[in-house]
Amino acid sequence: MINLILALAGLASVSAADDLQAGAKPPETEATASVESLRVADWIATSGDNRKLPYIIVDKANASLRMFDGKGKPLGVFPVLIGVAVGDDATPGVGSKNLAEIGPAEKTTPAGRFLARFGIAVGKERVLWVDYATSVALHPIPKTVSPKERRRQRMLSPTADDNRITFGCINVPAAFYSKTVRPMFQRKGGYVYVLPDTKPLEEVFPRLRVQALTSARIR
Amino acid sequence: MVGATGLGGCATKKYVREQIAPVSARVDTIEAKLQETDGTAKAALAEAQAASGQAQQNGQRLDQLNGRVDSVDQRLTVQERRVKRPRN
Repeated sequence: MINLILALAGLASVSAADDLQAGAKPPETEATASVESLRVADWIATSGDNRKLPYIIVDKANASLRMFDGKGKPLGVFPVLIGVAVGDDATPGVGSKNLAEIGPAEKTTPAGRFLARFGIAVGKERVLWVDYATSVALHPIPKTVSPKERRRQRMLSPTADDNRITFGCINVPAAFYSKTVRPMFQRKGGYVYVLPDTKPLEEVFPRLRVQALTSARIR
Repeated sequence: MVGATGLGGCATKKYVREQIAPVSARVDTIEAKLQETDGTAKAALAEAQAASGQAQQNGQRLDQLNGRVDSVDQRLTVQERRVKRPRN
């Protein structure tokens, strides 16, 4: 939590008032990570589930993400904005709807393991598609959103409670996106693991069950 | 006098048998229980090993499926020509 606050303080101090300062060293992650996040990170590192690609663990409960390189080296913790609705599934067909057609309960950020790749979105904008089928992408706060949503302020605030505002996409600090995510995910993509809101962790990541068993046997 | 004292100090075989009998019976019972517990533990271990093997197999199958899902996902992203709008 302290590191997240430090990260947010760093965010607040950026003169451009846009995002994390370019090239700024991200804070350490391990001390602030939730038990669930640590479990998933441990499983990925020991099983090599990321297939040598960079990966991100999104912790919806704490409205933060942890970034790792292909070798599992932690690169920092960053605040995120996520879907306004609590839930771990995407409503069937939500990916084909216009934003105005998406109901409040449908604005979830689905939990799971996703192979994310860059692709073109509306407006010739390149985004990191997390779940293309349900139109969930990871990108900075869009310039087109209403200022009334106060997304930037929500991202800067030290609490996670107000970080649920999007239609389901994952908004990240712009500098983190351009300096870390884009260069690392540009060529071959990477994995995004979204931790659940309500579902049991093992239901979302079934491989964790085997991991628990293997760990017990080693002991 | 000495002989009488000596005789008095010795226990008869019958006496010893009588004393040992209940202890022996208890030992037999404990041994039987121990064997039973040992059997149960061995069966449990075998079941746990089988479950572990099955879990490993399931895990490998999950990995295979994950790989297939990944490639399907990739193909979908590449093949989809319609430019989509992310959910912001």
